[in-house]
Amino acid sequence: MADLEVRNVTVSYKKQIGIKAASLQANAGEIIGFIGADGAGKSSLMHAIAGVIRFEGEISYFSEVYHSPAEAEKIKPYMGLMPQGIGLVLYETLTVDEHLSFFAHIRNLRQDAAFKAYRQKLLHMAGLSDFTDRQAGKLSGGMMQKLSLICTLLHRPKLLILDEPTTGVDPLSRLELWEILDTIRKEEGTIILVSTAYMQEAAKMDRVLLFDEGEILARGRVSELIDSVRAYTYEEGACIGKDNAESGCLSFDKRSYSLDTLAAAHAEPTLEALFFVNALRKKRILPKIEIEARESTLEIPETVMEAKGLTKNFGDFTANDHIDMRLGSGEIVGLLGANGAGKTTFMKMLLGLYPIDEGELKLLGKSIKSSEDRQVLKAKIGYVSQHFALYKDMTVRENLIYFANMHRIPLSTALKRIERYARELGFDAYMEHLPGELPLGINQRFSVAAALLHEPVILFLDEPTSGVDTIARAQFWEMLHRLKATWGISILITTHYMSEAEYCDRVVLMRQGKKIADNTVKALYAKHPQARNFEDIFLSYYRSEA
Amino acid sequence: MSHIFWVVFGKEILSFLRSIGLVAAVLYSFTADIYIAGEGIQITPRNVKIGYVDDTGGGISQKILSRLHRPEFLAPQRFKSHEALSRAIFDKEILVGILFDQDFEKDFRRGKKAQLNLLLDATAASQSFTTLGYLQNIVMDFSKPHFPVVIKSHKLFNENADNHSFMALTEMLSVITLLIVILTAVVFVREKEEGTWDIMLLMPVDPRVIILAKSLSQVMIVMAGVILALGFVIFGAFDTPMNGSFWTFMLLTFFYSFSSAGIGLFVAAVSKSTMQVAQLSIVIMMPLIFLSGAWTPIYAMHPVLQFLSFFSPLRYYIEGSESIFFRGTAFVDLLPYFGGVLILGILLYWYGFRKIGKLF
Repeated sequence: MADLEVRNVTVSYKKQIGIKAASLQANAGEIIGFIGADGAGKSSLMHAIAGVIRFEGEISYFSEVYHSPAEAEKIKPYMGLMPQGIGLVLYETLTVDEHLSFFAHIRNLRQDAAFKAYRQKLLHMAGLSDFTDRQAGKLSGGMMQKLSLICTLLHRPKLLILDEPTTGVDPLSRLELWEILDTIRKEEGTIILVSTAYMQEAAKMDRVLLFDEGEILARGRVSELIDSVRAYTYEEGACIGKDNAESGCLSFDKRSYSLDTLAAAHAEPTLEALFFVNALRKKRILPKIEIEARESTLEIPETVMEAKGLTKNFGDFTANDHIDMRLGSGEIVGLLGANGAGKTTFMKMLLGLYPIDEGELKLLGKSIKSSEDRQVLKAKIGYVSQHFALYKDMTVRENLIYFANMHRIPLSTALKRIERYARELGFDAYMEHLPGELPLGINQRFSVAAALLHEPVILFLDEPTSGVDTIARAQFWEMLHRLKATWGISILITTHYMSEAEYCDRVVLMRQGKKIADNTVKALYAKHPQARNFEDIFLSYYRSEA
Repeated sequence: MSHIFWVVFGKEILSFLRSIGLVAAVLYSFTADIYIAGEGIQITPRNVKIGYVDDTGGGISQKILSRLHRPEFLAPQRFKSHEALSRAIFDKEILVGILFDQDFEKDFRRGKKAQLNLLLDATAASQSFTTLGYLQNIVMDFSKPHFPVVIKSHKLFNENADNHSFMALTEMLSVITLLIVILTAVVFVREKEEGTWDIMLLMPVDPRVIILAKSLSQVMIVMAGVILALGFVIFGAFDTPMNGSFWTFMLLTFFYSFSSAGIGLFVAAVSKSTMQVAQLSIVIMMPLIFLSGAWTPIYAMHPVLQFLSFFSPLRYYIEGSESIFFRGTAFVDLLPYFGGVLILGILLYWYGFRKIGKLF
């Protein structure tokens, strides 16, 4: 019998199922990875194992068996749980040192020489030895996560449950977090369950569980999983003419997937392939995304946006430090960086939601000096905010009609356009639903539709793919590319997924409010021939700057 | 421009009707809350618990006690000693204690000044002091002073000396104040909370239209609530007289709502969450309500507070409304009240409008 056994665990909430009949085994010293989109069931299963929510089924940890949070009390001394969200377990006004003392006290640890040595070692591993006097609120996102992790490790848990510890954290801190985990499991023989939104991190795990819609889709070593879909993965273009789940063929990111044998060369699959093959198996029909030409015709200048030395200060803190940037017509520029790098602040400054402290901004050939300058341009700019903010108490249709009205689009035109977008972007089945009831991927496309109603020239997208599942993300990028092709629209998009850089024409890397790179994707690859993926390129910039 | 205005207005009304919690809170405030305030307040004594110690052997003492009867008083309870009665008052079993000592009857019969000792629980001040008044009347009756004056009172404006309708009306005016402030602030702050604020700012629409439409929509919701409250509670349950013009009152309410909406705009400008709106609204509104004369007559306040009360729009609104309801004052004579509400209203709304406008 394995050290940790989860048998048929189901977690259900009021309206939906969190995770359905999930089982897993893990042994001391193993790192088990949970991979999947938001709402796929990763957190539900983690919380059930941690004994903090009610569940059906049985979990055993060595000889202890539990079926409920109350019965799980007895294993709590051996367990460490780090919930999702950066710095959630920390107290902003306590220093690093005070945090460690606090967690030692509430865990009732004997503070002897051995403890002090272990504590020193943790601080050293986290690279926080020099920052013991700094308040948690003044640490960077990466440091906060490392501090959260060592606070969770202080009582030497034998079962460590980490819910997305690396999401939104900069790549260097992410590597360090993984190094800490690797050391701990070797030295302490800890079972580590860790979830992640980054497919690339799967390589660091002993075994991987892929989650999709409350089910565990596949499990095993990464190499085994990739082997299992090798037969269905083809070179790009194999699907031409039948690019739809109905015909059993899907394409994305230089690869095509089909259950039938195709007369095309095979390609090396990635973990993402599992989600596409699953969609094909389940005959999940993906709406075909097509975009018609815009109704209005207009002259678009060569450079739609040009920023010179844009600076934004919040008190002593410089969120954006003299950033230059250009957005050409029909260009997709990716603004990449970790949480807190200043991406959103920069975008809000471009939009006029924050006043510009220093620097010059030209939009569509017009120098922006006052809010009056912007008023005219509002009709030419589309914006999708973080978390797809729309009116929650109005249906999709009502929301769209409201937005069309605000843009003074005549009602008959607006209704036609709404119908067309709903069809083209594949959310026509959800028109009478409230935004809160929609899957994240649908919400994402519907938010973009709302931002496109007035046929803008520039589209600003703030973290539109965060937490969205692989397939919805693939569709989203396809939609952006089609928009660019048929409308000639310029897109500025922020993301913390480095892998998405591949789909942009040009990327701007940001770190702690500064621009550290600005180049086309091709040029960046040419500059870093040894890089396997964009993550490596970003890391090399991080290292040289640090 | 007017098209956008009605689009925003309609959207806010729709949003309001879809938030069940908010609709329930507004309905409760305009019906049950006002009813409870009107029904619950008791100034005349009712069911007062009386205890007594009688060391006289009966006679005059029993004659006095026999006059204390329902519904004002429960049957007086006899105690053996002063100490027992004191303890019962301490334990809140008795509100008023009467001590007939040995000399009481003797002195009375001899025509000397007889002393009747009373113990009053002054925490229930109005009830026990009114009871005191009753007892003084009873004693006066007994002594029959040869003083040929009879008081004949004529109750004006509120012939039944009915406190219920008066309290209910005051409560309704307070509810209007609080709700319009909170509702107006919430329609703005909810956009901040849900992240739609930025999207609203990026619409090619004059922000003044949005602010006006949003605040007017909430004023209209409150006006609808006022009509409900008047129909079901003020006229329905309490049968309050309406001696003046109904429409004059509605017009005054409409103007007053705008002055409160101005306070709401200010609250919205400085709050980040609905929670903050609730806290801040209470902090700002309470002094305005205290100073308005809703709970204490203005002439009974400290002169400094009396002066400050000039700046509470609720003061003019309450005085104006009472004049309309009970006195049936003509429109011309209401002009000072309209003036007070309008001047303060324009100032407050202008200030709030500018404050929130800066965020656009």
